[in-house]
Amino acid sequence: MVDEKTLRDAVKKTVGRKDVKYVVGYDKGTTGFQAAPTFAYEEKDAEKFVFNPTCVNNLAVYPMLEDKPPLRKGEEPDTRKIGIVLKGCDSRAIVQIIQEKGLKREDVVIIGIPCTGVIDPKKLKVKFPGQHKSVEVKYDNDKFAVTVDGKTQKFSKDELMPEKCKECEYPTPIIHDILIGKEIKGVKKPDYKEIEGFEKKSLDDKWKNWEKEFDKCIRCYACRQACPMCYCKECMVEILDPQWVRRSVNLSENTAWNLLRAFHLAGRCISCGECERSCPMDIPLMKLNKKITKDIHEMFDYKAGVDAEAKPLLAMFKPDDPEEFIL
Amino acid sequence: MAKEFEPNIIGFLCNWCSYAGADLAGTSRMKYPPNIKSIRVMCSGRVDPVFVLEALRKGADGVLIGGCHPGDCHYQSGNYKANRRMKLLKKLLEELAIDPGRLRFEYISASEGAKFASVATEFVDQLKKIGPNPLKEVKK
Repeated sequence: MVDEKTLRDAVKKTVGRKDVKYVVGYDKGTTGFQAAPTFAYEEKDAEKFVFNPTCVNNLAVYPMLEDKPPLRKGEEPDTRKIGIVLKGCDSRAIVQIIQEKGLKREDVVIIGIPCTGVIDPKKLKVKFPGQHKSVEVKYDNDKFAVTVDGKTQKFSKDELMPEKCKECEYPTPIIHDILIGKEIKGVKKPDYKEIEGFEKKSLDDKWKNWEKEFDKCIRCYACRQACPMCYCKECMVEILDPQWVRRSVNLSENTAWNLLRAFHLAGRCISCGECERSCPMDIPLMKLNKKITKDIHEMFDYKAGVDAEAKPLLAMFKPDDPEEFIL
Repeated sequence: MAKEFEPNIIGFLCNWCSYAGADLAGTSRMKYPPNIKSIRVMCSGRVDPVFVLEALRKGADGVLIGGCHPGDCHYQSGNYKANRRMKLLKKLLEELAIDPGRLRFEYISASEGAKFASVATEFVDQLKKIGPNPLKEVKK
């Protein structure tokens, strides 16, 4: 249970620093079951900051989304830091970005929140269809207390948590400057049973499954926008010459996009589940990411977003990498 | 009589080893199937997974990537990195129901003309068994 007063004080202190531009955090949402990302530029803005189970977004995208227009003559670059409120899983994104040298550690001030799990807005939407007004969700010991129209209902955590929270390894942010509350030890392990089950299926069955999923894709690229690791200045789908992926929305192009997206995240995906959450067509994108995460763990004994000093997986090698054939 | 299926193979061959190996196979007049269309790249590490996918979508039945032997890379480590990448890509192709046998990564040195010929023969036989590529875009 995160004490919101401590959080606000921390935000106030951070935004008050001379070398901090702004702080990104969560505000009470305006609609449905989601908190909205918000910015604090002054100390008084800190009052709106909250933390509750509806704070699902991964705010690690914000420092990478920031526009950096070219400087005018004689203008000094703005080197001030950005403050971010981060959950455990989100902090791995920042670690991975630092590892890839997208950011420097001193570019960000991290307000870490030890998180006991958030809700999956899609799961709540099923339980309360047609709910558009903002809903209050609170932690209640081992349960989530959801208040709709003045009535409070309690749900067990397993019922409402997304898959990623059920197997969360790092509830406490790996790197942080300020920690709100006490550290929580991660005890859960990722569960690859479903992935292994799918691996055993025949190629035909696999394709039938993915065909159904990719056929739904409308190529809105919400998965890319929400992903903290997709921060290329120019995405390969927008390159016109050579045009790797055509713009038409059909099964062939959709498959190409989803395959390439998954591959570009190989060894970088930190399993925050943002792609799947933001997907308007409910494509189980995390299944693909998780499959790669599993293979990487098995083949190269590597985990993304844990060690900022390590080298990125595909930029290094070991002489004893697994081989399929004898030389 | 129905024509036998002849697979179309795109070969990305590294300039320093495999391309020279293929050259040697040719100049030594070794016999290998003509299904391979070679593309010379400066290093096997140059081969982006996008290339492989594009080849498969544009109608190739198989993709062969030839690199130097471990430790022999002209650029120190390109072949190791390509190896990692292709191994991952294979797993991903398998997940998305594309036979991973359509992608092959081989170490072929400049002196191994015979190996190039045998790899080509083997790969063509293998692809004949797998059959035509289902990803092939429908041609008008």
